[in-house]
Amino acid sequence: MQQPAVKLDRVYIPSEDIVAREIEGELIIVPLAAGVGDMEDELYSLNDTGQEIWRRLDGRADLQAVVTALCKEYEADPDLIIQDVVGLMEELLKRRIVVERPAG
Amino acid sequence: LRGPPGRPVLSVRSGSGLELSSKALADLMKSVLARGLPFRFRVRGWSMSPFIRDFDVLTVVPLGSRPPRTGEIVAFVSTVDERLVVHRVVGRRGAALLVQGDNLAGATDAAIPESRVLGRVKRIERDGKTVRLGLGAERSAVAFLSRKGLLAVLAAGARALFRRGSAARA
Repeated sequence: MQQPAVKLDRVYIPSEDIVAREIEGELIIVPLAAGVGDMEDELYSLNDTGQEIWRRLDGRADLQAVVTALCKEYEADPDLIIQDVVGLMEELLKRRIVVERPAG
Repeated sequence: LRGPPGRPVLSVRSGSGLELSSKALADLMKSVLARGLPFRFRVRGWSMSPFIRDFDVLTVVPLGSRPPRTGEIVAFVSTVDERLVVHRVVGRRGAALLVQGDNLAGATDAAIPESRVLGRVKRIERDGKTVRLGLGAERSAVAFLSRKGLLAVLAAGARALFRRGSAARA
């Protein structure tokens, strides 16, 4: 199945199939898709920049708003920020850690 | 403006290689059980030996509508230091649960409010195999012996007998 492309005008939210907790400065993501929170299985973590993006996935801001906020906060090439944000979202979507918020 | 951010990185981590504090583990367990799902993790320590040993893998399930019973093994957050503890229910004192480690002979029972209990241990795995002893019908007797401080004495006796038997065979 082909993965849907990440679009800047869409709102992405953390999936219901994960638990994410900030623990000792690290964001730990536990997948629940198998019907169990399994600490013996694979988990995910996000680095600081990833967490900056994650915190902005609040169910209201579309991806463009996330990029704009990051461009205001950081001294960096906006094209690079877009590329990084989209790249991360592709990874998160692929692993079903985030989903696109349904319209309406 | 802050300096340029580093690139965002999503890392795949092996859960078993993750060194989480007991408090962090309790936090994650609470979040998963709140979704009504089981939580599977590797336990550390010997306070529940011989039924649960260091590095055993436990599956904890939500309590649901049934309160913990005497003999069951529960995961709870300590009232002393907020750490995650896995001990056996050995009785009740009013509304509080009396909990004790099977291997803690002579230790005073801890009375904890039921609200501190995160879930009950449903499964114990050791070296990839399910261990049933300590979770079945014998659990009430284990709780009784544990409360009387006899369990650790019996276990020590059994270990001594086993060692003697092994030495005789050798």
